[in-house]
Amino acid sequence: MTIASWLGGRSRAERLATLAALPLLLILAWTVIYPNVSVIAGSFGHWKEFAESPSDVEALKNSIIIAVASVVASLAIGVPLAFLLTRFDFPGRTLLRAAALLPAALPPLVGVISFLFLYGDTGVITRVTQIVLGLKEVPWHLNGIGAIIFIHAYTMYVYVYLFVSAGLERYESSLDEAAIGLGAGTFRRLTRVTLPLLTPAIAGSALLVFMSALGSFSAPYVFGGGIRVLSTQILNSKLNDAIGLAYVETTVLAISAVAGLMLFRWLEGKRLYVAPGKGGASRQPVRSRSARIGLACAAGLIVLVLVLPHLMIVLVSFAKDGAWTTQMLPPEYTTHNYAGLFTTNQLWTPIRNSIVMSVLATAADLVFCVAGAYLIVTRKFSGRKLLETLVALPWAIPGTAVALGLLATFNTNDLAAGKILLVGTFWILPLAYFVRNIPLVSQAVEGSLRQMDLSLESAARGLGASWWMAVRRVVLPAARPGIVAGALLACVTAVGEFVASIVLYTHGNRPISIEILAQLRSYAFGTASAYSALLIGLVLIMALTARIAESRMK
Amino acid sequence: MKFRRAGLGIALAATAATLGSCVHDNRTVLTVYSPHGIDLLKFYETEFEKKYPMIDVQWVDMGSQEIVDRIRGEAVNPQADVWFGAPSESFARAAQENLLRPYRPTWANAVPAEAHDPKDLWYGTYLTPEVIAYNRDAIPRDSAPQDWSDVVDPKWRGKVIIRDPIASGTMRAIFGAMIAKSITETGSPQRGYNWLLRLDANTKEYVLNPTILYQKLKSREGLITLWDMPDVATMRDRVGIPIDYVIPKSGTPLLVDAIAIVRGTKHLREAELYYEFVTSEHAQLEASRQFLRIPARTDIPQDSLPVWIQTAMKQIKPMPVDQNLLAQHLNEWMRYWDSHIRNHG
Repeated sequence: MTIASWLGGRSRAERLATLAALPLLLILAWTVIYPNVSVIAGSFGHWKEFAESPSDVEALKNSIIIAVASVVASLAIGVPLAFLLTRFDFPGRTLLRAAALLPAALPPLVGVISFLFLYGDTGVITRVTQIVLGLKEVPWHLNGIGAIIFIHAYTMYVYVYLFVSAGLERYESSLDEAAIGLGAGTFRRLTRVTLPLLTPAIAGSALLVFMSALGSFSAPYVFGGGIRVLSTQILNSKLNDAIGLAYVETTVLAISAVAGLMLFRWLEGKRLYVAPGKGGASRQPVRSRSARIGLACAAGLIVLVLVLPHLMIVLVSFAKDGAWTTQMLPPEYTTHNYAGLFTTNQLWTPIRNSIVMSVLATAADLVFCVAGAYLIVTRKFSGRKLLETLVALPWAIPGTAVALGLLATFNTNDLAAGKILLVGTFWILPLAYFVRNIPLVSQAVEGSLRQMDLSLESAARGLGASWWMAVRRVVLPAARPGIVAGALLACVTAVGEFVASIVLYTHGNRPISIEILAQLRSYAFGTASAYSALLIGLVLIMALTARIAESRMK
Repeated sequence: MKFRRAGLGIALAATAATLGSCVHDNRTVLTVYSPHGIDLLKFYETEFEKKYPMIDVQWVDMGSQEIVDRIRGEAVNPQADVWFGAPSESFARAAQENLLRPYRPTWANAVPAEAHDPKDLWYGTYLTPEVIAYNRDAIPRDSAPQDWSDVVDPKWRGKVIIRDPIASGTMRAIFGAMIAKSITETGSPQRGYNWLLRLDANTKEYVLNPTILYQKLKSREGLITLWDMPDVATMRDRVGIPIDYVIPKSGTPLLVDAIAIVRGTKHLREAELYYEFVTSEHAQLEASRQFLRIPARTDIPQDSLPVWIQTAMKQIKPMPVDQNLLAQHLNEWMRYWDSHIRNHG
């Protein structure tokens, strides 16, 4: 009896696929399931503490309020913007379309800091507004739940915008025409035709926003002030030597995320409409002169708001450290901040760390996810459903929870318990990045492979190609757009990662985001901003590389 | 295909180049965890490396509570060699958890019993009085709160900014001292909790780190805070922030800031050299002159210390704090504060 026959399955191919999936499943069990089980196991005995702590109950409530409000705010910005840009033609449209994606180039912590410079009590926009309106007091305070939702709306509407735009591009305008022909008014058309067809796009992006906002760490960490959310509460408990309580908080956060995921899936399933056809561009030029001018002005204003955080970071990155005190803008400028990054060993290390760790994690993600997606898409075997669920699972687990799980699992050398010591070593962060990005890369690669005609591979085999030849010449080329997109997303996320890093970093592998925090701590706003600008630059370079790779493919 | 190979080659070469640049010089790296701030740490780093060119000091500047958490988390695989700075309560806690390695410095007899661990696990380096700090451009010296009871006066409602005490050794020490004092004097923590509730009522915001704290005091987002004297003096004199301090009349916790070698260090000899270096008489005097620290060693001639320290030490009335009580219950009190007092005043 061979192992393959023991694995079950009807044909040899099926058993082979199960055998191939086994190492993938084992890795997932070890790096995803086991850490979460460790956290849950560690939480036993502390649940009473959690339930009786008013601050934890408040944190849970706040986390959910913030997540829901961020979804509402992102939809309110993203949906109209997508309509405006895909349906109408007006002066400034191209510029606005390019600028609409800018918030995606702002790593989490960097975005928060730029908002502090712009909209904080002494921020530039705050001061300008105060002067223009002639107010005695500052017009607003950037703290509390409002501030968190504000920055979430700015950074997360991009998901909604992208999803809905894509939905609208594929949208069949003949359906609209049919509705008009049948006598439907504008409103009726919107509620009965357009929005139902966009439901998958809206629901998908809303879910993405919900997840990101629920696990968001940097905004509450920096502006939170008195506001407590679960992700920061976890770190607080850990700092206060209450690791058991931190495990409970982690479990609660993960459960909320999974509950959110299931709720969205259920909502989505209830209203699923499939748009026929491939759609057609139906952009209408705006004809009225005043509307054109109005739209152009509005577009200009929106572009300004979108680009200001980046500009502010670049501006402050040239500010002399320590010179900027009470003035509205930094009074003295220098290029020393940048020169320092490249010449001082201690300042260069974080940059090198971030790049190396994100490349390593992305490479591992690619190998793992291409294999996984290949099996999921092209093979039928027992365990396929399981593999599919497991590769998507890390997505439902917020970054802080992933980090705590790894902390609970890889903290000692105990082979009998399946534990190896990675905490305190370089490798813990690449592992965390790898785990966090599995769903992202899998999804991208699977998407590409699903568009491949499955009979092509067997055709190649039938024509005498070896398995490896068929994979190399047929499967991989088909997967390439997904590979490029997945690699880009994974690299970008890993290079600016903050949430898991702050829990797991050590001096030897400290990434850029942690160094930014350290520089802020020592009052070096210029250096912190230089790091931030560099991070934005890295993200742009990666996006550009992916673009070039994509165009070469065609 | 060719393009792909070329692309792969470039990517690999770039990675190799980046990795290659991490090949260190052949100096031994000594890792120091410290909350003492970039200026003081850089100064000692330069001086130390001048004296010992074969050692590369790398320090990590973070809040003292974060250091405890890190050292605890890394206990199986220690990353730090020396832990330089944090109130002694934090060191006492770490000593209980067996995270420190005993070392008896050459000047061990020059500090009083309460300023070192009985088993030599840590020794005091600086004395840190806690003070009331205020924006001196916004509040004249005489109108600033003169004592702990003044800070919680309703007239300062919304004017107080406090460093988030969960991550701050300094704030934990102040809060802990208030509660410990209440227990010693009345047998119950209630009086301390009441004071903290009133402080919370006056507090506009709990901020993430000292930088934001100074920034907000400077920009008058808040006018008053509780902090330690050396850091306030440093910000006033070296950074030029318009802040000043009042030494509380009724007495103030005089924290002992300490140093220790981390258990499991792989660079014991280097760690001992650094330990001795930063606590030498010369280094302590430099710290007092340049970085406004008050040396804990009693064998340093008082008249060689800066005048401001001599005057300040005369004004300071140390608040008696039961260290055992603190070491045992501080975490529990802080948890109580976090759940029942923060945002409830």
